Amino acid sequence: MDQLVACQTCGLVQAVGGVPKDSVVKCARCHFQIFHRRRHSRARTLAFSLAALILYIPSNYYPVVSAEYEGHHSETTIFQGIRSLYAHQQYFIAALMFGTSILSPMLKIIGLVFLAATLDWPGWEKSRNWVYQIIRLIDPWNMLEVFLLAICVSMVEIGEIATVHPGRGVFAFAAVVLLTLLATLSFDSRLIWDSPADQKHYE
Amino acid sequence: MNRWLGLIPLAALLLCGWYLCQDYLFKGPVITIYFQNVEGLQENNSLLQYRGESIGEIQTLKLTADHQLVAVRARLDATATGLARQGAVFWIVRPELKPGSVSGLGTLVSGNFINVQPGDGAPTNVFTGAEKEPLAPIPGLELMLRAPKLGSLQPRSPVFYREIKVGEVESCRLGEDAREVVIQVRVEAEYAPLVRVNSKFWNAGGINFHFGLFSGANLTAESAQTLISGGISFATPTALESVATNGTEFVLNETADAAWATWSPAIPLQAVPEAMINKTPMPGLGTK
Repeated sequence: MDQLVACQTCGLVQAVGGVPKDSVVKCARCHFQIFHRRRHSRARTLAFSLAALILYIPSNYYPVVSAEYEGHHSETTIFQGIRSLYAHQQYFIAALMFGTSILSPMLKIIGLVFLAATLDWPGWEKSRNWVYQIIRLIDPWNMLEVFLLAICVSMVEIGEIATVHPGRGVFAFAAVVLLTLLATLSFDSRLIWDSPADQKHYE
Repeated sequence: MNRWLGLIPLAALLLCGWYLCQDYLFKGPVITIYFQNVEGLQENNSLLQYRGESIGEIQTLKLTADHQLVAVRARLDATATGLARQGAVFWIVRPELKPGSVSGLGTLVSGNFINVQPGDGAPTNVFTGAEKEPLAPIPGLELMLRAPKLGSLQPRSPVFYREIKVGEVESCRLGEDAREVVIQVRVEAEYAPLVRVNSKFWNAGGINFHFGLFSGANLTAESAQTLISGGISFATPTALESVATNGTEFVLNETADAAWATWSPAIPLQAVPEAMINKTPMPGLGTK
């Protein structure tokens, strides 16, 4: 039976006939591999986003940067960093930081867990659509990676004057960044409107 | 591939467990030290040190309910657990600039920190902080000197025998009826045999200036250090009497008698056993 598949790279919609096992389909126009639904999308998204959700807690609880300067010793969590920006009257930047580094990643991870978990629950289509809209909306504001960059920069730049090392939470933090990325990549949004019967078919 | 996916959240849980272990299993005890004044200490920042090495960090500073003391809560490192014993003395190291001595200069830039002299009693979590660095626990001969006035003496002023420093002033206070000054002095154990019950003590601080018609001007000072910090000298008569014991009282003369300078008794100084001099207790300090 022929299926209509849209190429994810160039957008060309094309009919794809029965595909023999262990073979791939290439786009007629751009020759990138096309697929009807990403394979194992749901299980992978669930695994990655769940792990990200678990590690989100230590990554915010433990300090990500610790600096030592002539015996002065200070450790900073992400939230403390934002608070000290606020204390320095940098309200706009503090709010931006809070939105991009705490709020948006949290919403996104919870949203992905929700989508992957409820994918075959009938009657939840509406809320899934809704959650997906929110994820789409906040995704551009999701800039967790910026913080990692900030840590690296401060280690290189202040390294001469003070000893700056990654704090205990930095590993969890980096893992959250990576896992969120992987979860986003492995999630196939087309699954949202598939009926449970269709999903069984693609697994 | 699919069946291994469950391992990813599991690994995340394990990492969380590792963090919790570090927090609760691999950490030393939280101790509370009460100080009168914690000037220069900072929450979540200032360190506890022992022998110059960091052994813990201050978590919170809180005024007690009666506003008399400040409770310092500090988390010790696991390796320093053995330091939290009864008898341990904690004090705050601050920069100090005193005549004759400068100390704690490092704290000018690093901020004040808490230092500890370990105790050897039962493990405990609550301590009373000392106001000053305790004198090193070197056993010595404790003497009481009585003088009409203090002169320039102060705690830690040196005690000399033939201009060699053999001890220190421990404390100065007014006598019971406020008619004299009582100075507590400690002579190091090594030099204890020098002090006999008939020894003479005099204040070696400051400058003595004599002007006589025939002798001319005469200016004496024991040493440059005593000019500022004060000091005590003593001499022992050639005719030796019994060795002074702890708590023996002497009169602190204002100046030395000329005759005392001629005394030169031969007193054998036997070596003091190493264990007696260096009795710094090191209870249960784990190896690093």
